[in-house]
Amino acid sequence: MKATLICLVAGFFSASAYAATELTYWDFLGGGDGVRMKQIVEEFNKSQSDIHVTESTLTWGEPFYTKVHTGVVSGQTPDVMTYHLSHFAQGVQGKDLRPITNDELAQAGLKQSDFQDSIIQRSLEISKKYGQSDQLFGVPLDIHTIVLYYNKTALQKAGLLGSDGKPTGTDSLEAFAKMLGEAKSKTHLLPIAESTNSADPASCWRVWYTLFRQQNGDFIKDNQLSFADVENQGAKSLEAMANWTKEGYIPKNTTYASAVALFSAGRSVFMINGNWEVPTLVDLEKSKKLTFEYGIQAFPKLAGNSDTWADSHQLAIPNNQKNPPTPEKVAAALKFIAYVVKQQTWAGGGHIPAYLPLQQSDSYKQMVPNNEYSADAAKQVTLEPPLPIFGVASPSFSAISNFLLPAWNNQIPPDQAIKQFDAELEKYAKQQQ
Amino acid sequence: MRVPSSAAHKPASHKQATALLFVLPFLIFYVLFLIYPGIQACYLSLTNSEITGQGRFIGLGNFAELMHDADFWGSVLHTGYFVLLTVVPNTLIGFFLALLVVRLKRLRLVVLAAFFLPYVLPVSVVTTAAIWILDANFGILNSLTGINISWFQDPLWAMPSVAAVTIWWTVGFNVLLFIAGLQSIPQEYYEAAALDGASGFRRFAHITCPLIWPVTTLVLVLQLILQFKIFDQVYLLTLGGPYNSTLVVLLYMYRQAFQQNRGGYGAAIALVLVVIITVAAIVQFRVLRASRAAT
Repeated sequence: MKATLICLVAGFFSASAYAATELTYWDFLGGGDGVRMKQIVEEFNKSQSDIHVTESTLTWGEPFYTKVHTGVVSGQTPDVMTYHLSHFAQGVQGKDLRPITNDELAQAGLKQSDFQDSIIQRSLEISKKYGQSDQLFGVPLDIHTIVLYYNKTALQKAGLLGSDGKPTGTDSLEAFAKMLGEAKSKTHLLPIAESTNSADPASCWRVWYTLFRQQNGDFIKDNQLSFADVENQGAKSLEAMANWTKEGYIPKNTTYASAVALFSAGRSVFMINGNWEVPTLVDLEKSKKLTFEYGIQAFPKLAGNSDTWADSHQLAIPNNQKNPPTPEKVAAALKFIAYVVKQQTWAGGGHIPAYLPLQQSDSYKQMVPNNEYSADAAKQVTLEPPLPIFGVASPSFSAISNFLLPAWNNQIPPDQAIKQFDAELEKYAKQQQ
Repeated sequence: MRVPSSAAHKPASHKQATALLFVLPFLIFYVLFLIYPGIQACYLSLTNSEITGQGRFIGLGNFAELMHDADFWGSVLHTGYFVLLTVVPNTLIGFFLALLVVRLKRLRLVVLAAFFLPYVLPVSVVTTAAIWILDANFGILNSLTGINISWFQDPLWAMPSVAAVTIWWTVGFNVLLFIAGLQSIPQEYYEAAALDGASGFRRFAHITCPLIWPVTTLVLVLQLILQFKIFDQVYLLTLGGPYNSTLVVLLYMYRQAFQQNRGGYGAAIALVLVVIITVAAIVQFRVLRASRAAT
């Protein structure tokens, strides 16, 4: 009894003498990757006693970024948060992000060259253009991209699996369409499960932007927003996608959840989706609920090059001017950030680590099933145009939903859709000025 | 013994002070959370503010832009369509369900609870259930009936589907109001009419209908105001899609304010909606009063 009391008292004093720095952490990770982030935060809290992180998960997309922005204006922000690289143009321009100096990075044991160069370069480009700064506004956590999920069992039966265990007919748009036709007639399954409903512009954008970039299309010409390529390669990409629908290779008006369910229930041969669905398949296989063998490959090179849409989750510090964080808080936040970016647990969410020592480590290279796609996918990364009208929770989403999606669902002709899409984006670009 | 009535002897001003004291808690909240934000919104609509912070005063610029904004007028039309699909049907269905419930001798409470329960559910639960029930690939409705329609993703069916979910969700409250109304009709009227040999239909047409009319008016006006403010269901079910076919006024306001970061323009949209609702409610009330006077 006495001993317990002494322990309690001693515990009380030691706790108060070394009061831990409290960090609030906001993220938007609701899926399989969210579970892994919670695990990382828990492990971090257990690994040391100086810093205690409390995590809150908020709704992905617009609600998250609106809350961060209002938080910054009212001076009530978290100490650290997740952020999309594709939202940096909006966030830096709107002064929501606090620059992180190289000294601060160094104190946390990090340097810019620790991270995938393409991500750092894009980040610095945005810093310079919208923040008049040569500092980073966030630390890269990962790269996420779209990959091609395939039903190995079905492809094998249809004779469409190559000797390398990968699908055949993925070297051009024409060959791809032909292969999908064969897959359809031989397996009687839906060729591609895809989210095609207008409430999910992101899925449509990722596929279209990939095909557009693979044909060397770009929105930026001489540092200016340009629609010349959109009218040309952009229209061709949309036409190819609309043809998939016409031939019944993808389902019309399908929700995101249904698309994932169609593939995981073995009712489709392929699924084009983000690498964040990897944990869904891994978990289903583990619990023996998957009726087929699946494979994953980096998005195939269907046109001139293998560029594939990608984005990067970053860890950032809000630019709280009203109640600026103390240097101790900033140091603690960066210490936490430095811990998180080094955890392979995060790759369990299908993401590719941006931290190079981890990305190049043997243990990551051997990680299953990530090793089926990650090496190629990391090379194919093509980021969103660095303008505030693009990216997660940007105005471009309603233009995509209103014009690209109806064309994909065969409700309006692709060329007409592209014209209206351009006009809408132009309107948004003007409103932003 | 005479009970001293202090109130009676107090001066009128004192009485008013007491009254004010009782009203004060409500008044504080009313001013703080309705009047003040209302005035702020009016001012905001005259500026080019973003969603936070102050903007520049631009006079009626936002309203001028609004007049030529095709998406805005589209959203007004869609809201009107939604109101049309919900207000009268929701009232009629509520009335008939109420007639059914009051006639039940057994299981009356069970049936009433069954109709009322959806109303208790939060909108997010209702919409999540509806999304899966009406899913094109996995939904129970399509697999039972063999229909091949993506209810929330088809431009033709999206709005009627949102309306159907709304009616299922909210009709319970109307049933309650109508039951209260039906039970307040004195039983003697029916007995007297039955003695005079009036048939069931005539009793319904000449006793029930006119006497339930005040409740019907109330339900219609409440419904009209409520349905004009449609936002939650559309935000959760369709996000205004497909292709803006379910883009309603409040969702357009949300898009402008929170997606485009144009707080001033959003406030202008909100103010126009206030005007529309007020006018519609007054017109409806007048029409209903006139038709009541006529019967």
